[in-house]
Amino acid sequence: MSVTPGDGFGDGGGRLIRPYSLTGGRTRPSRSDFAMTSQVVAVPMMRRAVELEPEHRAILVECARPASVAEISARVRLPLGVLRILLADLLDGGHVMVHESTWQRERPDAQTLRSVIDRIRAL
Amino acid sequence: MSDTAGVLPDALKILVAGGFGAGKTTLVAALSEVESLHTEELITAESIGVDDLLGVEAKTTTTVALDFGRISLDERTVIYMFGTPGQRRFSFMWEELAEGALGAIVLADTRRLEDCFETIDFFEQRQVPFIVAVNCFNGVRSHLPGDVRIALDVDSGVPVMLCDARERESVKRVMIELVSHVLELELSGA
Repeated sequence: MSVTPGDGFGDGGGRLIRPYSLTGGRTRPSRSDFAMTSQVVAVPMMRRAVELEPEHRAILVECARPASVAEISARVRLPLGVLRILLADLLDGGHVMVHESTWQRERPDAQTLRSVIDRIRAL
Repeated sequence: MSDTAGVLPDALKILVAGGFGAGKTTLVAALSEVESLHTEELITAESIGVDDLLGVEAKTTTTVALDFGRISLDERTVIYMFGTPGQRRFSFMWEELAEGALGAIVLADTRRLEDCFETIDFFEQRQVPFIVAVNCFNGVRSHLPGDVRIALDVDSGVPVMLCDARERESVKRVMIELVSHVLELELSGA
């Protein structure tokens, strides 16, 4: 099965760090892309992604259910900096979805904070 | 990414700072729903001052481990608690940890209160809301919160409380105190 045109994986050549200048203008993965608490989930694949390295596959296994960047890092035993680069590959290839909470940018409102207090109390 | 907002939970980040041996990992484990996890970040010569590398066996790269735990409040909300190394040579991690943090628990060991100074300075400068929790080993309350407040020279608005990092209910009270403090700041417009 052929690689989807334009997904940018054709020239991977086994390198951990691809030239991001060739992948839709993305530069190095930034912290804002993959905060430690950002939630990542694998997108179900209809085809076997031949372009993926073993490390990529290991990451996809760990985020079959939503997991944070930090959790994935702990489970696949890769330092955060390395993991972020591999996650950027997967995001570029459409293999994962990422959700960063608005709380990474701004404090939750009072109603949310009260709810958090109640729920901690109920733990 | 709003298209994923309905699928994936929102995360709150709470930092647990303190010196070596203050009980950070114990406190995180007391409330975490999973066995305490740890991740690593590479330290390079660019990450820390060259001077700081002296005495670290002259290595140019090494790793720093971060312990963390997870608490699911409901299907949409999860709290991550990150143990934050207190030593100055790990300060390159503090910026990232502080970014987007709801607040911080400064876990104080009364035998080594000075270990808290640098992280407290940092949280004050970065305006990260924090409380001080004095970890009372063996249940011995050898220090009053007021004495610790004076010794640490924290603002009168910063809660200082006693805790036992091994006890789940005690750690819950610490967490509630922190979020309540954040709520007060929110309501006061700070």
